[in-house]
Amino acid sequence: MRKVAIIGGGATRCGKREASWRDLAQEAGKAMFENVHNLSQKDVDSLIVGAAQPERFAFQAHVAPLVAEYLGIMPRKVLARTELMCASGQAAIRYAYACVAGGLSDVAVAFGVEKMFMPDMAEAQTNMTCVLDREWDGVNALSAPPFFAMTAQRHMYEYGTTKEQMALVSVKNHRYSALNPLAQFPKEVSVDDVLKSPMIAPPLQLLDCSGITDGAAGVILVPADDAKKYTDTPMYVVGSGQANIGNAVGNLASLTEWVPLKLAAQEAFGSAHITIDDVDLAELHDCFTISEIMEYEALGWCEKGKGGKFIEEGQPYIGGKVAVNPRGGLLGCGHPLGATAILQALDILQQFRGEVPKGRRVDGAEIALAHNLSGPANVHSIMVYSR
Amino acid sequence: MTTKMSNVEFDKAKRPETIKLPYMLDFYPLEDGKNTMIGQFFVNLKQGRLTTTRCKKCDKLLWPPRIVCSNCLSNELEWVDLGTEGELYAFTEMKLGAPLGFVQDAPFCIGIVKIGGLLISTRIDNAKCDQLKIGDRLQLKIVELEDGRVFYRFKKT
Repeated sequence: MRKVAIIGGGATRCGKREASWRDLAQEAGKAMFENVHNLSQKDVDSLIVGAAQPERFAFQAHVAPLVAEYLGIMPRKVLARTELMCASGQAAIRYAYACVAGGLSDVAVAFGVEKMFMPDMAEAQTNMTCVLDREWDGVNALSAPPFFAMTAQRHMYEYGTTKEQMALVSVKNHRYSALNPLAQFPKEVSVDDVLKSPMIAPPLQLLDCSGITDGAAGVILVPADDAKKYTDTPMYVVGSGQANIGNAVGNLASLTEWVPLKLAAQEAFGSAHITIDDVDLAELHDCFTISEIMEYEALGWCEKGKGGKFIEEGQPYIGGKVAVNPRGGLLGCGHPLGATAILQALDILQQFRGEVPKGRRVDGAEIALAHNLSGPANVHSIMVYSR
Repeated sequence: MTTKMSNVEFDKAKRPETIKLPYMLDFYPLEDGKNTMIGQFFVNLKQGRLTTTRCKKCDKLLWPPRIVCSNCLSNELEWVDLGTEGELYAFTEMKLGAPLGFVQDAPFCIGIVKIGGLLISTRIDNAKCDQLKIGDRLQLKIVELEDGRVFYRFKKT
């Protein structure tokens, strides 16, 4: 296996954009290529496009060649689209990483695009209801908000976690997204704002939930030995792990115990030869406030059931035990499914380069973890990056 | 203001105002033998029986019902009853964001019920969220769609 580096990337602003799927792809592609010196589109031999539901949101399949056409890329090694719902972007990074590490590709683009705003938002909600097992869970209208609402209810029931503790996750992540020009919600919120926001699926309120988001992003991966040809400040891929248990809600090990996250972390930390204490910065998948609380626990920063207390004590802030979601998270930045993991990777790269504004900068960060979950939290995917 | 080119024809194109919900945007499974090999589940449901498949070789209880055992790959499966009474494990209410096909029902309750050794998701038809609590007894009910297909739900006893 060759060591792999990410040498640059670019992204669109996220949010409710007056732009089409392909507009978003072009905007991010241009930003990505302009971020990297000594490299043009013709040098790219592989393109992996993370896209969760272009068939539903943009009525377009076969999107990898579409992106290739619009970005002027003519892949000769690998061209594919990855779908792993909320982790589709991380699947793209993982494939590109495998292609470069394995020696098949010398310049691979991991790209992600999602256009989620539609003229009729009920159509968008419908799309999101085939994410769980559609015939046995989706048929009960079980999409992400009600699923994570029940997860939150069980966590509150079993461990005494409170709505105020969950709200604190939203407060933290909005504090950082307020300093992120790419964020969908660049505005601070208070605990009171969260608790007074519209009820979506009790106990989850609007500000407990990440948004419906348009956005696109791309990063470029090369063998580490070539990285300095393009940049003085590459970021290295040093580990990864992914695990899955079951799919239908009834086959999950538990609603409050994310076993696959523990397995993915074990694999990722093992491959990176690090422990949890080595992680300076973590981009965690806070699709809902309860998710981030359960991730503190499963990753091992605190005991099972103590995630609420962990945020109450300020531990996941910059300067605390570990800086969690200094980008602003999905709660603050939005969640354009296929682009989300690419946006996380790009922000970590900018953290390592010292390019993010004071207030959300993690000074001296050496090792970062990026995490995505997908479906009913039955799949967890982790990448480990280093300066 | 744009000026129309005089030699170019301008015509109207029609789109239907309403269309029948296509099957692939219909959440309810196609249940007859032409479309699935687990049609027996729905035949049983029409008799008021909630069933699933169990592997005759390794005894594994499989949910959702299927045609091959995911544990030992045997295709010798048998139908077993899960019972008609369960216990509420978790619940919430669809307040905002209901998908097409369910919009007219909102708000409605969704839960996970413990039944026959399984945890399965369900709609709960006769209660509001604040009338439910974890551990409540639930009773099986069957809903029939206009086209004759059926699905299971639960109600609070």
